[in-house]
Amino acid sequence: MNGLKTNNAPDSSVVVPHFVFGAFSLFVLAVLIILAGENLFDAYFNSKIIAITHVAVLGWATMIVFGALYQLIPIIFETKLYSEKLAKFTFWISVLSILFLTYSFWVGAFSTLVVYAALMLFFSILLFIVNIMLSYKNAALKNNASKFIITAVFWLFITALLGTLIALNFKYNFFTEVHLHYLKIHATLGLIGWFLLLIIGVGSTLLPMFLISHQLNHKKLSISYYLINSGLIGLVFNWFLFQIELITWVSWLLIVLGVLFFVSFIYDSYKKRMRKKLDVGMQYSKLAIGSVVAPVVISLIVLIGFNFEFELLSRITTLYGFSIIFGFITTLILGQTYKTLPFIIWLEKYKNLVGKTKTPLPREMYSEKIATIQFYLYFLFVLAIPIGLILNNEIVVKVGSYALLIVSILYNLNVIKIIFHKVKNIENE
Amino acid sequence: MNKSEITQFELDMLELLKNVMDPEIEINIVDLGLIYELYYDGDKKINIVLTFSTPACPLGETIKTNITETIKQKYSDFTVNIDVVFHPVWNSSMVSEEGKRILGL
Repeated sequence: MNGLKTNNAPDSSVVVPHFVFGAFSLFVLAVLIILAGENLFDAYFNSKIIAITHVAVLGWATMIVFGALYQLIPIIFETKLYSEKLAKFTFWISVLSILFLTYSFWVGAFSTLVVYAALMLFFSILLFIVNIMLSYKNAALKNNASKFIITAVFWLFITALLGTLIALNFKYNFFTEVHLHYLKIHATLGLIGWFLLLIIGVGSTLLPMFLISHQLNHKKLSISYYLINSGLIGLVFNWFLFQIELITWVSWLLIVLGVLFFVSFIYDSYKKRMRKKLDVGMQYSKLAIGSVVAPVVISLIVLIGFNFEFELLSRITTLYGFSIIFGFITTLILGQTYKTLPFIIWLEKYKNLVGKTKTPLPREMYSEKIATIQFYLYFLFVLAIPIGLILNNEIVVKVGSYALLIVSILYNLNVIKIIFHKVKNIENE
Repeated sequence: MNKSEITQFELDMLELLKNVMDPEIEINIVDLGLIYELYYDGDKKINIVLTFSTPACPLGETIKTNITETIKQKYSDFTVNIDVVFHPVWNSSMVSEEGKRILGL
């Protein structure tokens, strides 16, 4: 009975709080972007942008990824999560450290509070890693998806370690290079090593499952894995040891090719799909996969430089991070929330009622109308911010920022609606 | 269904199982072609050979429970035995005309 391990699913009290905190963080993120105002146009390493970035990647994206991963481990590894208690403890430590870190960055307390917040966060990430690695030890299934996930977790460790060292350096000043040099490596490891690899691992399982497509070429995923990791190792070693421009270019090319192999895998799945009509969750996913082209083009512009003035190049660098965090990661998470959260709650509420009474469909647990409006407003946001940043136009950026605020409110409304869904007793209806 | 001869009771049983939905795909498991075999041995025991649209199907256990409960609602003293197989791999040719219409195939 290969693959039937739904009894291994963790209790929803392990997973759901991550979605709640993630939704709350998206709202906070939108508010901070509005409050940051003209700081968004400054250099990407100003304290407000760093605070916003960490709310986005930790409070929003990573927390939802942690929750989703706890739910998906029984499916992808075919084993139980090692410890649900540890996962719950990790959640609370993570929440406290993310709030602490965000506040510390926002007020610019780099050499004082940031150090303690970073150490606390590093500890919580270590707890998460221990739980995943011990689960993997018992994994019945070790395939492409699990390989991507475990490698992503390894890169998360390196990202967190380097982030903590950067924080410690604010106080003790032991680095030989300037902070920005390490910040670049920290960001690259986090965005490509942690998020990209994890999304490929999870996406290569979930997207074909939701599209109902079979007979896919999994070799493409293997090639993607080796290309991206070779490129990432090349970049990191080069930035730490050699700083040779040619190695940077070759590494960039390897990563881009790796991404293309993944996109090609998903495209095959899309072409072979049995389910022709895409629901709102899959529309988001389609937009996310299509938007992968943006960071590729923007990183190329940053690498070439084009003799742009420093301010413009700095805004383009901000845009590079934006295109990955919002164009790709957030779009995918917004969509996949509507594919996964209703199922988690549906299973919790109805698993003992199926067959005995008529049950609603998982998609009936949220408002599709709200999700659709949210989709178009999100589209406005991802268009307005880049246009505003490039044109240096504060009004356009404001339009985008308020669009995100409404998106976050609509998203929270639907998440609340799903989580507080009341069991409908419509027996023999 | 692969079976060449099917009794009226088994046909009734399949009709009953059209109440069991795959909640993600939103088609019942019979029209989706997930039931490979269904035998009634004449002694209150039903054997079902079932597959899922994907081996990693997170709803597998729920669908199995749904089948058992749906049968027991009508035939409370029956025993239901369900075997899950992934060979042959489920594909679009196993979907009924009604299922294809819903999927837009």
